[in-house]
Amino acid sequence: MSLVLDNLSKRFGSVQALDGISFTVERGQVFGFLGANGAGKTTTMRIILDILRPDGGSATWDGVPTTDVPRRTWGYLPEERGLYPRLEVLEQLVFFASLYAIPRREAAARAREWLARFRIPEYEGRRAEELSKGNQQKVQLIAAILHQPDVLIMDEPFAGLDPVNVSLLKEAFETMRRGGTTLIFSTHQMEMVEELCEAVVLIDRGRLVVGGPIRDVKRASGKRVVRLGIEGETEPPAWLTEIPGVSVIRPGQDYLELDVSRDVDAQDILTAALSRGARVTQFQIAEPSIEQIFIERVGRPPSDDHHLATASGTAGVEPASADTHSSGGRS
Amino acid sequence: MSNRGASNLTNIVAVARREFMFRARTRTYRYTTVLLMILGVGLALSPVIIRFIDRGGTGDRIEVVVGSSEPGVDVPAALGLLLNASFPGTTPAPDSSPDYRVVATGTTDEARAHVVEGSSVAVLALDRTASGDLSFTLYSKDPIISRTSQLIQQAASSIAIQDRLGRAGLSPPEQASLFTPPAFAYVPADLNSKQSGLDSADAFIGSFAISFVLAIVLFMAIILYGQWVAFSVAEEKNSRVMEIVLAAATPFQLLSGKVVGVGGLALVQYILVLVPAAAAILLQDRIASLVFGEATTVDLPKGLSLGLLGVFGVMFVLGFALYAVLYAGAASLVSRQEDVNQIVAPLTIVSVAGYMVATYAGTGLIPIDSPLVVVMSYIPFFSPYLMLTRLSLNTAGPPEVLLAIGILAASVPLALWVAARLYRSGVLMYGQRPTPRTLWRALRTN
Repeated sequence: MSLVLDNLSKRFGSVQALDGISFTVERGQVFGFLGANGAGKTTTMRIILDILRPDGGSATWDGVPTTDVPRRTWGYLPEERGLYPRLEVLEQLVFFASLYAIPRREAAARAREWLARFRIPEYEGRRAEELSKGNQQKVQLIAAILHQPDVLIMDEPFAGLDPVNVSLLKEAFETMRRGGTTLIFSTHQMEMVEELCEAVVLIDRGRLVVGGPIRDVKRASGKRVVRLGIEGETEPPAWLTEIPGVSVIRPGQDYLELDVSRDVDAQDILTAALSRGARVTQFQIAEPSIEQIFIERVGRPPSDDHHLATASGTAGVEPASADTHSSGGRS
Repeated sequence: MSNRGASNLTNIVAVARREFMFRARTRTYRYTTVLLMILGVGLALSPVIIRFIDRGGTGDRIEVVVGSSEPGVDVPAALGLLLNASFPGTTPAPDSSPDYRVVATGTTDEARAHVVEGSSVAVLALDRTASGDLSFTLYSKDPIISRTSQLIQQAASSIAIQDRLGRAGLSPPEQASLFTPPAFAYVPADLNSKQSGLDSADAFIGSFAISFVLAIVLFMAIILYGQWVAFSVAEEKNSRVMEIVLAAATPFQLLSGKVVGVGGLALVQYILVLVPAAAAILLQDRIASLVFGEATTVDLPKGLSLGLLGVFGVMFVLGFALYAVLYAGAASLVSRQEDVNQIVAPLTIVSVAGYMVATYAGTGLIPIDSPLVVVMSYIPFFSPYLMLTRLSLNTAGPPEVLLAIGILAASVPLALWVAARLYRSGVLMYGQRPTPRTLWRALRTN
């Protein structure tokens, strides 16, 4: 029981949006799908959902090609949020559910239950255009889950939500995960990945960079993190930067955070500190955060959208002679 | 695709239902429907309404000054009869109000003053020439080429002839027999001609009017409701809701559902407009007798048959489906609703061309049996218009009509296939101008 993507490729005109993407999502997993804007996340999701067809490779669910899997298997929250602006909330939800052959009465009951859970029961009779963006987003998520899909695929589900709604969404995730739903989502908020995901993949410019269970991904990193606290020192001492394979990534208030290459024995740093008579208040060896891995592998922070236009070259910029999908086709 | 097949019907129904319910609830739809209903009944009752407005009207006053001419004819009476006859040699229906009222007046000056102040429209003054013939002078504000002036001139000739005949000694009955129209028959040269049913002018005018009305109705339905489908696609794309819908339903299901939903709405509107109008036509006699308090008969248009209406129904549904499906496919290529008209323009032009050729063929500007009309009457985009025209003018029989319907019916799934492909690639395309290359790629990718 798993979703298997095998060597997916997709080209839009002169842009190779996907270039041999392969990974597996186990049933019931909470799965993080990471990559900068224009990396190919949305294209991959659309191929899984059979909104787009790949040029090469295959996507299967339990061994069945996703083009032949019933659409009720999937729930989808697209990156581009959209509802029928002039249709009432409950009407929309019942309509979306009816596309999955859920009887109207049943759909309305489930919709009301979810609206209550997301604390917007009073909006059922309002037209979508009257709702705030965050509330529209919640309605859209309900639209994606009313038919109780096996797999819920979400493009940036946390974007634009306030902290209260983020925690409501996390609760809903937990409910669905316990119910056996496989959750796949993309996000630029790496702390969400650390908190929620069991496994991740990181893709960049249509290629897979790293993937697997979080712990394996972290261990596969060429670096570790050492947090070193020295009494009376807030600036990194000169001797520290002279150790090969060590760089200071974040001078903190109480400690320094160091990037340490895996070929350096972290104990040597402690030894070096003590030998210089430093009074060590804190010493911790840790795996790097997902954010650090992202930066290490992709070369820029996950949320650095502004940086993207110049840094990512062809992947993020629409070619002037584009003759197929625009940026809407890739992400 | 087998499990998809099972969901096809459910999803088409679901999409059609939303489309239907949502649009049916809009104020625009309701108001337009009511307005069209009123218009339809109004048009159907226009003969009665026109008569009602004219009721009690005595027509334009024309004054006759006989002077010393001593004509052998009662000039005011003869003039009134001649002016109010719709065709030469016929007498006006007794219940209809006259167009003109002719009165005798003493002096020309007095009568001319009436024309100047507007209580009369013209004065006809009589005199005799030296040779003894009647001479006429017309005083009027209207130009000599106006209808009234022309009619009066014709009537004057007729009166002058009657006067000469009287002076020559012919009695009024002898004169009447002189003016009786001869027997005149029309027979088509080719005895097998399908036009043989249209041997009277009335039947021909009736058939022409019907083909004209049916072409207009079809044309309006295609343009108006086809654009609804186009706008619906563009609206979903614009509000970005279609990506959710696409995750749940295939482009084929979505397009079919939209066309069925909007088509159903179109049909409902048409029925709502046509049924009261038809009822009004059928009940016109009773309405007329209620209004005027007398029994009258109003002729139904000749040439309208159940068969023709049935073919019209089939052509209406299939023609709309063909255009609507392609309208939807085209609209999926643009990002904004403002661009919809531009992208569907080629289709609209094709539709206009079919309509124009049908109208020209119906009026005889293009011969109805010319190769252009015959060939076009089998081409799906034009056949709804032209086959209807050919059928209503009796130049096509059941085999021709069935062949055209068959070709049209086969073209609809083909159009759906093309449109679904355009839709699949077009609907996720934003901010780009569709080029022929894009369209070609869209059709080739699966």
